Amino acid sequence: MKQSNPRHGRKHWIEPPFLKPGDRIAVTCPASKMDRQVAETAASIIEGWGFRVLLGDTVGAQYHNFSAPDEQRCSELQHMLDEDSIRAVIFGRGGYGMLRIIDKLDFSRLRRKPKWICGYSDITALHNHLGTCLGMESFHSVMCSGITSETGGDPYVDSLRRSLTGERMAYSFSAHPLNRTGTASGTLVGGNLSLLVSLAGTISQPDTRGKILFLEDVGEYRYAVDRMMIQLQRAGWLQGISALVVGGFTDYRETEEPFGQTEYEIIQDKVSELDFPVAFGFPAGHQRENYTLKMGGDYTVVVGETCMLKENE
Amino acid sequence: MNDHRIKAVRMIDTVPTLIPPYLRPGDLVGITCPAGYLCLEDTQNAVEALEKWGYRVKLGKTVGAQYYGYSGTDAERAADFQDMLDDPQIKAILFGRGGYGTVRIIDSLDFNRFYRDPKWLCGYSDITVVHSFVQSQLHIPTLHCEMCIDLKYGNADASADTIRRALRGDKLSYSVDVHPMNRLGSCEGLLVGGNLSLLAAMIGSSSDIDMDGKILFIEDVHEYLYRLDEMLWTLGRAGKLDRLAGLVVGGFTRLKYDPEDPPFGQEIDEIIFDQVRAARFPVCFGFPAGHQFDNFSLRLGMPHRLLVTAKGGLLQER
Repeated sequence: MKQSNPRHGRKHWIEPPFLKPGDRIAVTCPASKMDRQVAETAASIIEGWGFRVLLGDTVGAQYHNFSAPDEQRCSELQHMLDEDSIRAVIFGRGGYGMLRIIDKLDFSRLRRKPKWICGYSDITALHNHLGTCLGMESFHSVMCSGITSETGGDPYVDSLRRSLTGERMAYSFSAHPLNRTGTASGTLVGGNLSLLVSLAGTISQPDTRGKILFLEDVGEYRYAVDRMMIQLQRAGWLQGISALVVGGFTDYRETEEPFGQTEYEIIQDKVSELDFPVAFGFPAGHQRENYTLKMGGDYTVVVGETCMLKENE
Repeated sequence: MNDHRIKAVRMIDTVPTLIPPYLRPGDLVGITCPAGYLCLEDTQNAVEALEKWGYRVKLGKTVGAQYYGYSGTDAERAADFQDMLDDPQIKAILFGRGGYGTVRIIDSLDFNRFYRDPKWLCGYSDITVVHSFVQSQLHIPTLHCEMCIDLKYGNADASADTIRRALRGDKLSYSVDVHPMNRLGSCEGLLVGGNLSLLAAMIGSSSDIDMDGKILFIEDVHEYLYRLDEMLWTLGRAGKLDRLAGLVVGGFTRLKYDPEDPPFGQEIDEIIFDQVRAARFPVCFGFPAGHQFDNFSLRLGMPHRLLVTAKGGLLQER
């Protein structure tokens, strides 16, 4: 087993205040459209956790494939970031659109009055922007589209409730044959691979050095996964990380000729000459199980006969 | 305050370091496939054309070979490409086709010999990786043009003829029809660019082109509009579009959409123009290059003049 160096001088990250019963959570759709009824079901489940829920006007609205025009999606999210009585924002769904509004958002109020931002997929842009520009933690978690009457009682949905109320989560998961064993600690960064590469060269790009990098993606051609991993490699995002944790790479696509490697093999190839621990198959991403991860949180990952990802006290 | 110093630094980037020698009758042209595989028969038209133009042709080992979707393993494709870069007899390399795979081998190639004895590297699409690497690392011009697979369907048309003219050293000059979204103006600068997906995939790496003061050419094929929007936002947010000298937009063809999704709500030209709306440089839409019938050769890395008027566009090699 390889043991990474103990980390030194973890940058101080802002941890927004955890939620108490009766606190208000707002729901908005900063990217693609979603069905309002789905959001209402999610809202009633979240209310069952003891919170009050406010659904924004973008929830259930439609403008082409977006929930609303850029200006409206932006102003609704801005209001939710600025309104003190709102203690957390859970996004309705991802899709595409955060990148179009992120530079129009003003984070000065949020910086003074931090709150929890919860979502994944397209929200990767916001997680990393908050991490890089504000040093603020946020939750990589299910969104309203994934909180349904069937999933409402599932432990991965409940991991969002537990995280919001301040529990530090520890997850054990099965070993994968492509894993590289070892133990490492570091700040967790990352998210959706295709969104991460779209942040390359921009102010929202994460500094991955010394960090635990988490990756997931959905619906990509295998050659595109290869190209994106090579971009991370060539842009120097992989060399200095303390560990790599890989979630779901689901609904992959092939061109006429099979690519010849699976997503996990493609990823393993790109880190085969580096020596940090690598864990495949963490239950987060575009699959049924999508456990909550605190982006910017301080984690330890243990990769052995069984694997564990746990937030440090 | 530092304007003068910055301009002085930029000057270095306004001329190529070295220009590969233009071809003379009897010169040897190599054909290799650094990415997707190509049947041997599909090179026949290209070989005939090159021979008709007075050149001799050497086919690499990757031509006609196959390993999954590639023309060989990474090691095989790199070795074939390397042999042709290093062979002093070969004066130009015409790539067989694009596809995917050049980025997997580009960093394993040794360009030292090429830098001392440069030659024309000719292709497009996945070959944007080569163009970007050579432009950013070596400042040597390359040729953005049709490849063997394109000549399969016609080796005597106007596009193929621009390869002939480019290789023998003619200055290339193209006029383009009026386009309603053009922004009028004129500029000069090195012509850079290629396939948008590949240009985005170079960001953050050592092959990322400095686009400031350049005339940028972009084209793409078979992408979703939202993906093209995302890539253009990335280029914009990475600060690569606000200080261009000019923008030339080629083909954005066979775009994908999911019938169950509503349309994106903007056409590609609007999506592109949105990213440069705040700037003032000339923008020329509808340039005949890309994954389409007319794919005229462009000499990347060489100084060009772009003139966009009410009568249309003109892109001239200086």
